[in-house]
Amino acid sequence: MTQNQRFDLDELRALIRLAAEADIEELEVEGAHVKVRIKKARAVASAVLATGASPAGHAPADTAHGPAASEQRYTPIIAPMVGTFYRASKPDAQPFVQEGDAVEEGQTVCILEAMKLFNEIPSEVAGRIVSIVAENGAAVEYGQPLFLVDPSPAV
Amino acid sequence: MFDKVLIVNRGEIAVRIIRACRELGIRTAAVYSEADRDALHVRLADEAFCIGPAAARDSYLNIPNIMATAELLGADAIHPGYGFLAENPHFAEICQDCKITFIGPPPEAIYKMGDKAAARQLMRKSGIPVVPGSLGPIRDEAAAIAAGKNTGYPLVIKAAAGGGGRGMRVVQSANDLRHAFVAASREAAAAFGSGDVYIEKYLEEPRHVEVQILADGRGTVVALGERDCSIQRRHQKLLEESPAVGLSPRLRRALLRAAVRAAEVVGYTNAGTVEFLVEGTNHLYFIEMNTRIQVEHPVTEMVTGIDLIKEQIKIAAGERISLPRDIEYRGHAIECRVNAEDPSRDFLPSPGQITAFVLPGGPGIRVDTHAFAGYTIPAHYDSLLAKVVAWGRDRDEAIMRMQRALREFEIGGVQTTIPLHLQILDNAFFHRGEVYVNFVRRRVDFGRLREV
Repeated sequence: MTQNQRFDLDELRALIRLAAEADIEELEVEGAHVKVRIKKARAVASAVLATGASPAGHAPADTAHGPAASEQRYTPIIAPMVGTFYRASKPDAQPFVQEGDAVEEGQTVCILEAMKLFNEIPSEVAGRIVSIVAENGAAVEYGQPLFLVDPSPAV
Repeated sequence: MFDKVLIVNRGEIAVRIIRACRELGIRTAAVYSEADRDALHVRLADEAFCIGPAAARDSYLNIPNIMATAELLGADAIHPGYGFLAENPHFAEICQDCKITFIGPPPEAIYKMGDKAAARQLMRKSGIPVVPGSLGPIRDEAAAIAAGKNTGYPLVIKAAAGGGGRGMRVVQSANDLRHAFVAASREAAAAFGSGDVYIEKYLEEPRHVEVQILADGRGTVVALGERDCSIQRRHQKLLEESPAVGLSPRLRRALLRAAVRAAEVVGYTNAGTVEFLVEGTNHLYFIEMNTRIQVEHPVTEMVTGIDLIKEQIKIAAGERISLPRDIEYRGHAIECRVNAEDPSRDFLPSPGQITAFVLPGGPGIRVDTHAFAGYTIPAHYDSLLAKVVAWGRDRDEAIMRMQRALREFEIGGVQTTIPLHLQILDNAFFHRGEVYVNFVRRRVDFGRLREV
């Protein structure tokens, strides 16, 4: 990605820290190419990052491994390969999962298309989908978080 | 010309390719492994995509993820650099099938030169000298004795299916041949499941001299002079220079001619290097052709003024070679490979964080590197840290410049091969141009390196 498209990681970390300390539930910042929404989940903050038209870079992956994410109890489902992220098997079909859905280990949560091959991606954890991090139709790189899962047993 | 080139490599060569693309006005896309997230090529490229975990087989050799990245980012060409997928004919073929230009030779040429034994036969048939020896495999004593008589002594017996020195015997005279044949054959059978051996003339003190070629696939093949790469350790080059010192004009012409012929025989296009062993003042033997850009290409760039990476890209885009028939060579260039290794401890790799990094500069000095202060050298890849290239009007000036540049070069936190280079550059035999492939073993005082 170009230097001007890169969202500065230190800035992002500072924002997360700010959101975590402040008495707010949500913080939204919009730049030229990136929009960041930081939403506090109970006691800790989790960062949700939506990239614009540019192909996804490292920012999403880094965010998931950043200080805020590592502290919280959500487990990311990461892209095991490079491809285009699709939430449903066909454009007019229902998405495999929605926010709030319960998922089982091995359950298909999305499709990654690469070289005309549609690869069904299973969840590696059981739990509840807290957030869909990747945008439908976006190019995702290896290791990029796609979903955040709350692995704790349903109450 | 291409819109966007995907660079399927890392380290200094990825940086070098990005620079060439920039100068041609081509957008660049980089790939990287999880271990290279903070690498310079990732920072410099217009875009970068993570393609896998640290292990090369899962990232820089991961063809599905690489091709998916090329497609997703809309690259119309791929530059493989050197190593990794650069000499994989299967990968070149996949690029072809996906209608993405592979910046390199056609898969057939990679394949023909990749099989070293077949290449040896093909070259011999085309009138290019190879190391003299037996034709096919040798299976009994009578055949060994006949081949020994033809080849002359000393000779070396090598396992037909082998490598790594096993099943190999140097034979000084006909009296020792029988015993050596039996021993080599038995060892080969145990190690490789085949007792077949072949015989080659043993070259005592050859020089490694290679020729850079460029071919545009439209009938033009040019040789861009030679490089002497005799200074090596365990077949790994350490120091390269051009021109090769003391080479007679006649032998030089013969080398360049043989290199052009070798490229023509396999229908070569793009940049390549034909490697020879040179013995005495008259004999040259083809050993192999590297079907890619090489680490030491800047040496040729410095004496010819030609940007080889840009030429590679232009040729791949279908342009004709526009170089003059008679290349003008200027002065002398030397390259020292600065590796993160400890030469005093048997070249033990020295990965870790670079705490200080102050580059040399001044007249005639070029440094190609991906390193910087604060950079952590991953343990997963090769140890090449920087290539220091010195140019001078003559060899003496190039040597003096290299010495002062290496003394200026400050690298903190890791061990490097700089002390070894300084010892080589100071050696009287090196100054006289008495360089052979056994130079490092014979002339370097490793005890003195330990004292430094």
